[in-house]
Amino acid sequence: MTLSPLEVRKQVMDYLEATDCSLIEVSPLHVTVKLSPRADRMLTDRPYYWGFVERTGVDPETLSFTFVFDPEKYDSAAAQSPPPSRPPGGLNRPAGAALTSGGTEMEAGADNASAAASGAPPGVSTDPQDSILARYFGIVPALPRIGPGMIRREDVIYGSKRLRQIWAAAKEEGKCLQLFEDPGSRQRTTLFSAAYEPWLGVCYKVEMTCDLKREELHFIGISLATGKITEDFGSRLNALELTPRLPENIHIQPYEMNVAAGADRLESYLTSQLAALDYTWAEEARERLRLELSIVDIYYEELLKEPDEEKKQAIEEQYNRRRKETAWQYEPQIAVSAVTYGLFHLRST
Amino acid sequence: MTQLSRNSLPQEGSTPAPLLPVPLSFERNWLHDLESKLDKGGPWGDWRLTRLAIQGEQSGLVTSFDELQCMKHLSGLSPLPHQLDTAHKVLFEMSGRAILADEVGLGKTIEAGLVLKEYLVRGLVSKVLILVPASLVLQWVRELNTKFGITAVAQKKSYSWGNDIVVASMDTAKRDPHKELLLSSEFDMLIIDEAHKLKNKKSTNYQFVQQLRKKYCLLLTATPVQNDLGELFNLITLLKPGQLGNQGDFAANFVVDKRQPKNEVQLRGELSKVMIRNRRGEGPVNFTKRKVRNIPLTLSPEEKALYDGVTAFVKDQYQESGGNLSSMLSLVTLQREVCSSRDAVFITLVNLIKKLPADSPKRERMMDLLQSIRTVKTNTKAEKTMELIRDMNEKVIVFTEYRATQEYLLQYFREHGLQCVSYSGGMNRGKKDWMMDLFRGRAQVMIATEAGGEGINLQFCHHMINFDLPWNPMRVEQRIGRVHRLGQQNDVVIYNLSTEGTIEEHILHLLHEKINMFEMVIGGLDVILERFEKKESLEKSLYKIMLEARSDEELRSGLDHIGESLSELSHETRKEIMP
Repeated sequence: MTLSPLEVRKQVMDYLEATDCSLIEVSPLHVTVKLSPRADRMLTDRPYYWGFVERTGVDPETLSFTFVFDPEKYDSAAAQSPPPSRPPGGLNRPAGAALTSGGTEMEAGADNASAAASGAPPGVSTDPQDSILARYFGIVPALPRIGPGMIRREDVIYGSKRLRQIWAAAKEEGKCLQLFEDPGSRQRTTLFSAAYEPWLGVCYKVEMTCDLKREELHFIGISLATGKITEDFGSRLNALELTPRLPENIHIQPYEMNVAAGADRLESYLTSQLAALDYTWAEEARERLRLELSIVDIYYEELLKEPDEEKKQAIEEQYNRRRKETAWQYEPQIAVSAVTYGLFHLRST
Repeated sequence: MTQLSRNSLPQEGSTPAPLLPVPLSFERNWLHDLESKLDKGGPWGDWRLTRLAIQGEQSGLVTSFDELQCMKHLSGLSPLPHQLDTAHKVLFEMSGRAILADEVGLGKTIEAGLVLKEYLVRGLVSKVLILVPASLVLQWVRELNTKFGITAVAQKKSYSWGNDIVVASMDTAKRDPHKELLLSSEFDMLIIDEAHKLKNKKSTNYQFVQQLRKKYCLLLTATPVQNDLGELFNLITLLKPGQLGNQGDFAANFVVDKRQPKNEVQLRGELSKVMIRNRRGEGPVNFTKRKVRNIPLTLSPEEKALYDGVTAFVKDQYQESGGNLSSMLSLVTLQREVCSSRDAVFITLVNLIKKLPADSPKRERMMDLLQSIRTVKTNTKAEKTMELIRDMNEKVIVFTEYRATQEYLLQYFREHGLQCVSYSGGMNRGKKDWMMDLFRGRAQVMIATEAGGEGINLQFCHHMINFDLPWNPMRVEQRIGRVHRLGQQNDVVIYNLSTEGTIEEHILHLLHEKINMFEMVIGGLDVILERFEKKESLEKSLYKIMLEARSDEELRSGLDHIGESLSELSHETRKEIMP
């Protein structure tokens, strides 16, 4: 499935919000944002800069971006109306920038001038592929051209690198959880403490591979108290209010099994689910493999009649390599990995 | 929080795992991560981010074995139907090993990009090696990055190999120390551009590619089999050994002699399992028109005298040598050069003289020719070209076969205030790119020699001048293919200069009238040639006629004969392609 600009916008905004970025300007078509240190580390690929910040303890200067979700509409809107004004002396031009980085200021100025001349919205850099570096490397990542005081425009649409990166960052920071169901404010004043049941929830990604591939997601949970397994655990969680803090006036039911045992059970449950699937694809892949191997065999059969030992050995090597390659290409297999996982303490029902 | 864990409960209810018909593996690193975080009490992730990550996975999920996924990940690229079809076929019918052999200008790179993107999206490929001629490395990197959002890297230093997707030149890759490094790695995908250079199985290139460990493999070439079945067999063996049986079967089933296949239908059937060849005439590909202007020129008396002198000399030499063609090649060159520029003739002539023994009787005659070169003060063609360029007042590429002519034109144009750059095969990568950029920007004229023909894309220019013509129609087609390709917005105007009363006039007549090659958007040239050249290459036949003709009459009738069979073949082919 693909995502519409609005859906992409939702994803990006959720990320920016969750990572405490400061939004400078928001419209349905775009967002101009100054990243939080946390998001900057994940998104701007500046390990040296962050290493420098850590070692010297200076205040980090994070980067700002204008993410455009619907480039076409944004451009036509920008062409009609004068460029959106930014708060004077705002983050666009930090007070210190004029002192510390005259060079970048000038560059930014030049950029704006050329952009204005061509009728493009401000902040659009001229084609980065025109630089001498691009001539040497073929392509230059646009990042080195940004610094404090410049806001780079980037089109974030489905399939763009930035969106992929945001998802990867979200996974990196959000994969391992421990959460509690919010009991609501009344629970605090109730006499009896509420019983909470510990659940192990894992979102499994199942990759069925041969020379082709199909994938499935299974978000399943197991109660570590009762051993009960819930399919579609994700939607159950989505319906609840969850908090990372241990709520007051609740108690956790004793574990009947530890996390590892829970994981075992989830795996065998998932295995039995998978066993019920249709495996024609694997049969077909094996059939293709058999055919390919027989072709390889016939070809080398004659070559292997070579009387010269040395040559024969080389051919044999080649033959084995080709057989291995073929198996590598076609052999069906299933790999299961976890996208996210965690411990969820939910009110017993 | 303390963990109240009693590990005593027997694992009731857990039935032994049912057997799957496919090996199944669980990745369990997450469990260690979770356990250690439980020990340390965190740090814990953010639920909002978790949900985001899951939504991300969901949207990118490959839900079906047999449906192209890559298009939804590509914005700003709208592949043509035949390119999508090709990607589809490579994935679902050829299992990722294929020869992409579209005619020039139909976008093989786009097809390869689509296939690569699809495999990347499916997570079936991560480590990729792309081997191309040195002059194309940067272009590939650029296209993959900008058009496909694929982070490919040009190989510069040995640490570049550490990247996941590397574009390198074949010549670098096959040498140590790179070779060893590459042979010890495994590549999920190998892409080779201009793969027709891999036709000889004894060559180092061939053996290197054969030894590379690869899962999927794409070979790109515009000229898969020019006229040798053995070479075709080698190319396919590289991809899928045994697809055409072993060498013996192949010879018995498909070969009459080197150039002549038998059981053609069956052979074509076998080929279609590993090779995709789209042609210009097929599908709804809209090319702009080609407009041809033949510019007849009259040589100045001095030029004409030089031409006649060289022609007579070449012919006499041929008679003396007893009709031995192979020893005559440098003389044939002389004959062709005289139609281009006196500079080109001069250099070849001087080189020939140097090689002669001091007392050779030929020496005097050649010195005479040198003298007559000296009398030529003007270059009619260059003047006319100048005039054409001034009139069109747009970007234009001028093609010549000879370096000396190129140098001369460069100087001549510059003296007359034209901004021009040169482009030739001998330039290094950086310089070629620099020249291309200059042409794209400031310069009005690019003067290119034949070697520069491959792989340069000049869609922004729609005028080309053939200062002289190659005698091999495929090379003419390649020249045109530089400007007349996908992405060209304008009709392409092709100017052919031909001097009256010279061999050039005849060649142009043959190419233009008989094969109709300049206006032939339909394609099929290679088929015509393959059929014509079953016995001997067209170029060679032309040489023979030229050298053996004793009079203009004979020359004309010989050429007419070739022309007839060519136009017959082209009618035939056209009928097959467009019934």
